[in-house]
Amino acid sequence: MGHAEKIWLLLIGLTLAGAWFAETGNPGWPLTFIVAGLIGFKGRMVIDHYMEMTRANARIRHVLYTFNTIIPLLVIFSHGWGDLFRRLTTLN
Amino acid sequence: MDTMNTPVTEPIYAQPSASVDDHSRVPGNSGIWVGIFCVLVEFFLLFIVYFVAKAHHPEAFETGPDKLVTLAGVIITLLLLTSGYCMVKAVESIRKDAATKAFRWVILAFILGCGYPLVKYFEIQWNMAHGVDTKAGIFYTVYYYLTLNHLVHVFWGLLGLGWVAVRTHRGIYTAKDYSGLEAAAVYWHTTDVIWLAIFPFFYILR
Repeated sequence: MGHAEKIWLLLIGLTLAGAWFAETGNPGWPLTFIVAGLIGFKGRMVIDHYMEMTRANARIRHVLYTFNTIIPLLVIFSHGWGDLFRRLTTLN
Repeated sequence: MDTMNTPVTEPIYAQPSASVDDHSRVPGNSGIWVGIFCVLVEFFLLFIVYFVAKAHHPEAFETGPDKLVTLAGVIITLLLLTSGYCMVKAVESIRKDAATKAFRWVILAFILGCGYPLVKYFEIQWNMAHGVDTKAGIFYTVYYYLTLNHLVHVFWGLLGLGWVAVRTHRGIYTAKDYSGLEAAAVYWHTTDVIWLAIFPFFYILR
């Protein structure tokens, strides 16, 4: 089995595992951390192995890494500090 | 394909593809990265809209996914990831100058990619039959806005895949110059990266 096949199987497996957890687990911190981790990890797999960013221009790589890091952090932030986020985004 | 056609002259802006071992290389071409960065900024802003709406209406976002068909989101994810894998194989093939193989992989990627709008069509039909429309609440308004916006970008990607399929079939891409094929591939993978965030936002996260 080649490298691309292993990455594809890993991504498929993680997608199915995430969906199973969502259907059986309860909302809360565990689900939030799993979702944030899956977004970050699967995104990184696609960026590194499908887009071959490990062997590409550093600026392009950093933009993609930044995008892929901020989104999972926002998932955690919005769950744990929803009130603060609401206050910050309320117009009075 | 490999032998049936005379290669057509490349446009003047096309540059020979840099070696994959060149760590400063720009995969595809500079133009596609301008487009990709615009797409990333656009979806980043749309994700901010999602988080703001979620912060102001936590109950709606906690119960919202219950009315959506998780299976539809899972199938779309599997289709996109598998289609992306096919584009990886297409680029691998053209690097070995196997244009016929590359063409078959691009066609497979295109067919799998077309499964996305098809699943989306049936999902929306199901939603409408169960009263899940844009007026069903803030969660569903954001859901339609974000997922349909992503669908539009997938259409651009499919057009790109169709275009490079034709050019691969005509023998335009070679192991020395396949920047057009790679550009379509990296754009297609970008739609994957964005969907990998959208999918849990609406179908999993509560």
